[in-house]
Amino acid sequence: MATASETSVVPTHNESATKWWTRFLDPSERTLAVLLLAPAALLLALIIVYPVCRLVWTSFQNLSLTSGVPAEFAGLENYRLMLDDPVFWETTWNTVLITLITVPGALFVGLAMALMANLPFKTKWPVRLSLLIPWALPLSFAGLIFAWFFHSEYGVVNDVLRRLGFEGVIWFNSANWAFAAICLTIIWKTSSFMALIILAGLQTIPRSLYEAAEVDGAGRMRQFFEITLPLLKPAIVVALIFRTITALQTFDIPFTMTRGGPGTSTATLAMYIHQNTVDFLDLGYGSALAVVMFALSMCVTAVYLRMIRAKG
Amino acid sequence: MSSVSFRKLEKSYGALRIVKGIDLEIADREFVVLVGPSGCGKSTTLRMLAGLESISGGEIRIGERVVNKLPPRERDIAMVFQDYALYPHKTVYENMAFSLKVRGVPAAEIKPRIAQAAEMLGIGQLLERKPSQLSGGQRQRVAMGRAIVRRPQVFLFDEPLSNLDAKLRGQVRTEIKRLHQAIGTTIIYVTHDQVEAMTLADRIVILKGGEIEQVGTPDEVYNSPASVFVGGFIGSPAMNFAKGTVRGGRIAFDGGAEIALDGRVNGKATALEGRDIIVGIRPEHFGAAEEGRQLSGRVQVVEPLGSDTLIHFALGSSTLTARVAPEMRPQPGEILSIGVDPSRIHLFDAATERALN
Ligand SMILES: Nc1ncnc2c1ncn2[C@@H]1O[C@H](COP(=O)(O)OP(=O)(O)OP(=O)(O)O)[C@@H](O)[C@H]1O
Ligand SMILES: [Mg+2]
Repeated sequence: MATASETSVVPTHNESATKWWTRFLDPSERTLAVLLLAPAALLLALIIVYPVCRLVWTSFQNLSLTSGVPAEFAGLENYRLMLDDPVFWETTWNTVLITLITVPGALFVGLAMALMANLPFKTKWPVRLSLLIPWALPLSFAGLIFAWFFHSEYGVVNDVLRRLGFEGVIWFNSANWAFAAICLTIIWKTSSFMALIILAGLQTIPRSLYEAAEVDGAGRMRQFFEITLPLLKPAIVVALIFRTITALQTFDIPFTMTRGGPGTSTATLAMYIHQNTVDFLDLGYGSALAVVMFALSMCVTAVYLRMIRAKG
Repeated sequence: MSSVSFRKLEKSYGALRIVKGIDLEIADREFVVLVGPSGCGKSTTLRMLAGLESISGGEIRIGERVVNKLPPRERDIAMVFQDYALYPHKTVYENMAFSLKVRGVPAAEIKPRIAQAAEMLGIGQLLERKPSQLSGGQRQRVAMGRAIVRRPQVFLFDEPLSNLDAKLRGQVRTEIKRLHQAIGTTIIYVTHDQVEAMTLADRIVILKGGEIEQVGTPDEVYNSPASVFVGGFIGSPAMNFAKGTVRGGRIAFDGGAEIALDGRVNGKATALEGRDIIVGIRPEHFGAAEEGRQLSGRVQVVEPLGSDTLIHFALGSSTLTARVAPEMRPQPGEILSIGVDPSRIHLFDAATERALN
């Protein structure tokens, strides 16, 4: 018995050695699943997990390229510095404020635009095109155009104000006016994106629902609040997720319009990250700031996702 | 509950006339079915009555009121749509309650009304579900429930059964009839299915190309179709048509066969002498062969249906279908002699295609 089992052991061992390869030629369901998922998982790891981990790792380091000192592990030092950094608080607050103003702003303007674009126009393409144009413009380009619009001497905004009998405003000299100009520009630039998503949502609502509501006795307002809005909710949530995340990352428009000025009164967190990493070459601190922004984005996404799930 | 009348009702899209002057009086509590081929303007007519489509000419009255320009909500009608148009985000209860809430019916009254309608339709256990959680038949019932709770003057149905399978269609059809008997409200019902029209209607309105071809009870349109179109549209299998000429009190078919015209159109036989006609014979009106009252033709196809047999046979250049007793099973290729009762054939003018009797 013992010899028999011994002799059988040796070939089995050999077999299993060759089997390691053959398994891939005729894989089980499980192996196949792993094999098929591997490229995608690898790619994700490479382009998302690695940079994020690297970012978090850098944020724990004292890594400033101007100091001449080699990088060293600093623990939570960068984060402690942040707490005492008034510019961090100001830029974060500006970012949050921009988000709180421009996201609902773009939502309302976008909703109104989508409702208008959904009216039964004879020729639809000029309407659709005018929705697409602001969306297709580069952000920094929009910033440059609007910087001109709000220019105190040559800007169209002040010109209109003066013609209406108001005094012109030196927009970029005052923190509040500069902030307002930036918010208006962002709303102009981003509401077309909201409108496009909401328009797509509007077009999935069957006409017969409105006819049923009309026969049921509902007026326009009632139809809007009882049919349009509830059925648009999924589209609106999706639009809000995208819009909020990009709002938290606001950079181009304030950068091109005010460079964050006057002072740092219109600077955003993204601009402060840029300043620390690109201008000051303080990669450790910049990374820590970026981690904070990343965390903010994740929190917002989680909230929205919960909203969707609660609905389903 | 209310009567409805159309006077010279017109609808055009640009230069395209869709509804060409419809005159129709519908009595209170009547069940009227608008039937006709696709594109004949049935839905358009119904939607004009509902107020969902503007009218291009003429007049619509509901009761004594001219409603030409009233918005749908002021017409006091309820409509069941072909795709049901249930509000997807509302429960069955909310769907049914919506019109009552909008009209400011007190909450205490809404509940019993919905309960009553739900019981009538057997959907009481579905009230908390969303439309997406219902089967097609259940959705159909909810759509009807939503219309019933309103207690409107008139119910409008636009092909409400076309999304159901054949078996369910028969079932719901019976229910709609029962419902009408129970509540008695005027119903105007659009369909392109003549069986639905025959089984449901008090009166059938047959439309063709935006005009009324015939109005009558199911018996009337079946027994005395006003035109070739109506004859062919009502009844299944469809009426047979063959061309012929009246000669010496007999019909000479184009293929050579002849049958006597005796009895029925005797008085007119001379008036018809020499005229080209279209003869309509329903498949179920063929009978036992009798000298002088029979047609002969070669059997082409035999379809046994269990309850009866369909025989398709050639007569001249046309193919006729006969519905006969199930025992009768001729072989394809045989020469079949089959009786025709002259009192049950329909004669139409060959040129105008209108009935001659
Ligand atoms: N908005 C419109 N513009 C132009 N023509 C239209 C319009 N709506 C309907 N029509 C035309 O009017 C005619 C009648 O349409 P309608 O919907 O009333 O037909 P229907 O009898 O209900 O047919 P079906 O049985 O297919 O539902 C059709 O030929 C259709 O093409
Ligand atoms: Mg139709």
